[in-house]
Amino acid sequence: MDELIYKLKQEIIEALNLEDMTPEDIDENASLFGEGLGLDSIDALELIVLMEKNYGIKLQDPTQGKEIFKSVKVMAEFIQKNRTK
Amino acid sequence: MTIQHSVYISTDKVIVDGKALELTEKGSALLTQIYRSHIGDYPKFFKMDTLCKLGFVASELLLNSEGNRNFEPREDRAVILFNRNASLQADTNYQSTIQDSENFFPSPAAFVYTLPNIVTGEIAIRNKYYGETSFIVIEENDEKLMEQNLSVAFQDTDTKSIIGGWLDCTDEEHFEANIFIMEK
Repeated sequence: MDELIYKLKQEIIEALNLEDMTPEDIDENASLFGEGLGLDSIDALELIVLMEKNYGIKLQDPTQGKEIFKSVKVMAEFIQKNRTK
Repeated sequence: MTIQHSVYISTDKVIVDGKALELTEKGSALLTQIYRSHIGDYPKFFKMDTLCKLGFVASELLLNSEGNRNFEPREDRAVILFNRNASLQADTNYQSTIQDSENFFPSPAAFVYTLPNIVTGEIAIRNKYYGETSFIVIEENDEKLMEQNLSVAFQDTDTKSIIGGWLDCTDEEHFEANIFIMEK
């Protein structure tokens, strides 16, 4: 799981152009939106694309994102359970 | 109409009010160097496409040169920019995300901070300008035509000054900004 969390942090940094951040800067338990990483709604769409492209997970209901994107750790747990690639 | 301050940026040159800035990078790296050395603290910069980055750093240099930035809301300043290539680079980038039917992942971010309107909007939002914002696509860098459009904007009695001028980009390594603050 630690390996997946680290890889996911790298992918988030690349996909969202968080240029000044390193994986070490991201707290795996911190909120991705609001006060945590401060991502916005377009970033959420980009994370949905990331999950489909890299892990073959297609969210049928975009509102699921609210739960899945709570933190990097929650996202990684969801990916581990549902990935098809 | 008089020009109060001006900024010129090409792929290897930055001139603020007639004085060249000493910068070492070229192309898109030059825009990042301007951001890091003269602006900073605006991480949204890294999400912008080249056209938007160009407009953002050019307007920041322009407004820093004007001084007295207080970010108070104002309705007397408009933002009216012109170019030839519209959002060609953003369109090309977006197309590359949908070109291959086997690898079809349209990127939402490719349409954020990208379109020409977003450049003017970003400048207006950051600085709380509530005057007119327009991005006009014309055939070439035609000063007379731009001046005609700016003079029409001044017919609005609330508008006392305009951030205006040329802001064009074909790709990450080819761009030109020649913008100014013009007063009535």
